[in-house]
Order: sequence, then C-alpha cells, then structure tokens
Amino acid sequence: MKPAVIVENLGKRYSRYHRDRPRTIMEAALAGFRKMGVEESFWALREVTFNVMPGQMVGVVGHNGAGKSTLLQILSGIVGPDEGNVEIIGRMGALLDLGAGFHPDLTGRENAHISAVVGGLTRKEAERRFDSIVEFAEIGAFIDNPLRTYSAGMQMRLGFAVAIHTTPDVLFVDEYLSVGDLAFQNKCLDRILDLKNNGCAIVLISHNAEQVQELCDQAIWLEQGRLKAYGDPEVVAGRYAGKMEAISGQPKTRTYSQQVEIRQVEFGQSEGQLEINSGDPLSIDITYDAHQGFDRITIGLSISDIDGQIYFNTNSGTVGLDIPAPMGLGKVNLRIDRLDLPGGDYFVNVGLYAPDWSETYDYHWNEHPFSISWTPEEQSLLNPPKQWQIISLSTPAIETTSTQS
Amino acid sequence: MYIHQKATKPFSRRQITYYRDLLWELVSREMKLLYKRSLLGVFWTLLNPLLQLLVFSTVFRLVLKTGQSIPNYLAYAFSGLLIWGWTQTSLFQATGLITGNRPLIRQPSFPTAILPIVTVTTGMIHFLLAFPALLIIMVIDKVQIGWPIVFLPLLWVLQFIFTLSFAYPLAALNVTFRDTQHTLGVILQLMFYMLPIFYAVGDGTIPPALAQLYHWNPLVVLLDAYRYVLIGGDRPSLIAMFGLSAVCLAILPIGYQIFKRQGAKFVEEV
Repeated sequence: MKPAVIVENLGKRYSRYHRDRPRTIMEAALAGFRKMGVEESFWALREVTFNVMPGQMVGVVGHNGAGKSTLLQILSGIVGPDEGNVEIIGRMGALLDLGAGFHPDLTGRENAHISAVVGGLTRKEAERRFDSIVEFAEIGAFIDNPLRTYSAGMQMRLGFAVAIHTTPDVLFVDEYLSVGDLAFQNKCLDRILDLKNNGCAIVLISHNAEQVQELCDQAIWLEQGRLKAYGDPEVVAGRYAGKMEAISGQPKTRTYSQQVEIRQVEFGQSEGQLEINSGDPLSIDITYDAHQGFDRITIGLSISDIDGQIYFNTNSGTVGLDIPAPMGLGKVNLRIDRLDLPGGDYFVNVGLYAPDWSETYDYHWNEHPFSISWTPEEQSLLNPPKQWQIISLSTPAIETTSTQS
Repeated sequence: MYIHQKATKPFSRRQITYYRDLLWELVSREMKLLYKRSLLGVFWTLLNPLLQLLVFSTVFRLVLKTGQSIPNYLAYAFSGLLIWGWTQTSLFQATGLITGNRPLIRQPSFPTAILPIVTVTTGMIHFLLAFPALLIIMVIDKVQIGWPIVFLPLLWVLQFIFTLSFAYPLAALNVTFRDTQHTLGVILQLMFYMLPIFYAVGDGTIPPALAQLYHWNPLVVLLDAYRYVLIGGDRPSLIAMFGLSAVCLAILPIGYQIFKRQGAKFVEEV
C-alpha cells in the first residue's frame, strides 16, 4: 500500500522583513521602494520527514512556535515548501477554523451548501448529504435562519458537520476537541475514527500529549522546526509531556501536602555543582522534615535529563527498607556504586510517599542538577566497565589488552 | 516540491463539474448577499447607472457643451457607462479578494485562482441584467438594431478576459500593499474621464494630437467595437478585433503568473 502523505526532508523558510517595511503604496513611494527586501530569514521547518498510511492517524505535538501550524499549511498546499518534497494522494479535508468561512447574513442552509462545495463536493454530492449534515449538527429547524442568529456552538457544530461530511482521503485536524459540549465532542471523535477506519489518513495537531497517546498510531514531536522525535506515540508524546513539565519549571512541590518535606538533597560535597566521571559512585543525602509523624515512608529517587527522559529509578520500598518518620528531621543516604551513564547534564529527582503510594508528601523534580563527564566520542546510553581483548592473530601473538574502566 | 494527486484526474468530468459548481456557489453567494443587504437588491445595479447617466449627460451636454455632434447620444453614453462599469467594479472588488476571503484561502486544495473569476463573473451578470435597460434606451433613442449585434458575445468574452487579466495582479498587489484599493479608486476615476464615455474621440473634445494616443488604449478600442455593434449597426473592424484578442491572450497569462507567484505568500501575509 502506498502512503497517503509522504513528507521528505521538508523545509520552510520564512522571511523577516524590515521593521519599517512599507505597508502601503504611498509609504513605499515615499521610501523610494527601499526597505522592501528581506532582512533575514529563518527556517520555520527543516529536515522533516515522515509518512502517513491510509487509515493511520499521526499526532503532531510541540509547543507554540515549533512549526506545527506551518506544517499543516504546507501539507494543505496553502504555502509551498522551500526544500524537500510533499506528496498527498487523494482529496483533502480540514478541521480548522470551523465555520470561519460562514457569512452571517446567509442562512445555515446556504452557508452549509457553499462550505460543502468549497470543501470539495460537487453540488449534487452536497445535496445528497445535506440531511445527514443537518442531523449531525443538531441544528434542526434553525437551518433556514440566518447564521447571525446562531450561537457560537451551533456555528461550530455546523462547520464541523460540513467538514466531516466531505469524506476526505486525507484529513488535517487542528485541536478539534473544542467543539461543543462533551457529548458532541465524543460524537465528533467517533466520526473521525469512522473516517480513519475507512482508510482516511489523518494528521492531528495537538497540545495534548494524552490525546495523542490515546488516538494516534504515530507521533511527531516538533521542536524549533525540527523533528525532535518520531515514532510510537506512547514514547514520543510521553517524552514531550515530561519535557513540558521541565520547562514549565515550577516543581510539582507546590501541589503536594508537605506533611513530610524534603529539606535538603546533597551530594556530599561542599560547594559548586557536582561533576563526576562516568562510572564513578554517587552518594546522595536526603534530609526530610516531618511536620506530622508517620510510622513509615517510602523515598523514591530517579535520575533524568533535561528532556525528562528517566534513566534510573529506584525506591526504598523495593528493598523492603522501613524509613520511620517521627516528627522532626531525618536523614537518609543512597549510595549508587557505579553510575554508568554517558556524559551530560542530569537531575536527581526525589519524592516522599506513603508506603502504599496512596499519597505523595513531597516531590522535587529537576531541582538537583549534576553532570557527568565522559571523554570518548561514542553515542551511547550506557557506559558499563568493559574490556577489549585480541584472542588470536595469524602472526605470532603478542599479548595485547586495553582496559578502560 | 508539492505534489497533490487528486483522487480524480485533472480534466475528468467530475473535476470540471466541480469547478463549475464551485464557481456557481461563489457567484450565487455574492448575488444572494446583494439581494439580502438592500431592499432594492439587484435593482440598484440598474438604478445606479441610470442616475449616473442623468448626472453626467447633464454636465457634459448642457454645461460643458460636448458631444453635441454624437448621434444617439443617450444610447452612446449609457452603453459606455455600463461597459466601463463592469470593468471598473470588478477591478475595484478584485483588490479586496485575497485579504477579504482568508477562510476560503486557508481551505486545503481551494483553487484561489477562482476568486478573481468569481468577481468578474458577478460583474458580468450585473452587466447583463442591466442590458435590457440599454435596449430600452436604444429603442427610445430610435437606434436601428442590426445584425452585427451577433458580435456581442465575442465582445463580452474579450472584455471578460481583459478585466480578468488585471484583476489577478491587483488582487495579489493588495496583499503586499493594503492601500491598493484606495489608490486604484483614484486611478479608476481618472480612467473614467480619460475614456470616451460621455464624449467621442473625434468630436473635438480632446486635442487631435492626444486623439492618436487614445486609439492605443485597448479599452477605447473595446468601447468603439461595442458601439459599432450596438448603435452603428456595423461589424467592428477586423484589425481592432484581432488586436484586442492578441492583447487579451498576451496579458492574461502575465496577470495569472503574477498572481501565482504571489500566491504562496498569501497565507503568510494575509
């Protein structure tokens, strides 16, 4: 089967014009047609490559300005790419700016007809599907009233109903789930999934990582116009969600009860940020302050990078350690004998929990940084102790070993 | 490179039906809006040139004393008003097309190039709706309507292409410069006085040296051809017809190309 959407090494460059670029003929003439040129340009999208098969839904996540909307505009053929190729096979439809093309003075019926034809149906096809559109939009007898008498919700519903009835082969969706009430949203979702099951390829733009994980077959994470990650939605959207937490910066502590509070997390070193070598031990002292007394608490600890990828995760519960927390201060040490991670910047994250995980007392996320230095030029996620050895050579053997710890 | 393989072939019957339907829907939208916004609706499109005729023929004939030598003056002036009116309103409206139809342009695979065609077509419908009024005035003015009237459709086609050729670049220009419409309004007004609508080129209103230049203006040639056919009862000169056709065929691709080249920027700038 051939993909319905093929995007290959796509790049889009936008021009930034002079700040005082003339906006009118009069100004341009006065300026002697100077300042009309491009001052600088930047890549809104670069080196983006992916495919969508018929019947597949691809979710695109990324924060504002990452290039999501630009991608959608290029896919729809509204703006042309500056680099690479885009190929779309079949009729396109879009769920964006729902009802924006409606005219307030025309009736719902007239607007729906125009909209359906603009959306790619012939008049005959539009006529045939009209009853179904009205029924779906739950407009009923209002269909012959001018659109200006409609509520915003009714306009959106009608817009959605028309768009979804054009039965496209390729559908672009931009944050559609803001249409109407929950019941209508579910109806829309069902209809979208219907299309998907009938072989429609869907590109969904979303801020909502959970939605992407739930609905999509593939996920794309765009960051500053580049493909940050592409693949399984669980992983991609999950990492994206993790990063969003890191960026929003505010540690989760605020929302926790703080019945037991993390007072200090130390690496047993007096000042400056800790830097260790790959394979060195890491010792972490955790000081907590119980404002209420508990028989036992569980301490969780993880090591993650700036993207929110967790490399290591452990808790005191797995080894059956009982940590009592009577009122007042307590101090616990965790010693990791070897930390065989590659070089980079990491965070130690610490959480205090009830032993049955029913409650989180306190949690520090991305608050305790340290770094690992590592010299070899190797792309690796793990750096265990290793040893190369030459077992035999055809020439008289010379004992050669090279060791690295 | 952007490739869109439609489910149907480019010139299949469905695709042609689709473009026809799209044109129909968009033109009828314009017409419906006109009907709904004013009580008199399309009647205005008739009343307006009639009132203009009253004003200008008074000014030109009685005050400025021009056009005294023109036979069938009423029919002459009214036909000029209607013909120029079609081109004028179409061009004026074309400038606001891209900036005013953002939701349509953002629709995937919407053929933006159809918008100027819609505007010129709407203008043509108004022109044709007013045509019976012209015929009535011609009868009142005792004009002999002869067989050359069969050339009318050809002239309509030529004027359509000519107007469209300018509608394309103007629509694109307004995206970069938002005052195109204001500037154009002034230029169109100037054109109105520079065209032999209420006077004739050869009647001494304009100096003979300038009259030579007048005949290089395709619109003057077009107006002449219309009046030959309608009032003169004669077929238009073949040279004029060939010349006009050649001009139309030459400028349409140029106008369209300007529009297409700007096209990619529409969404970025609108």
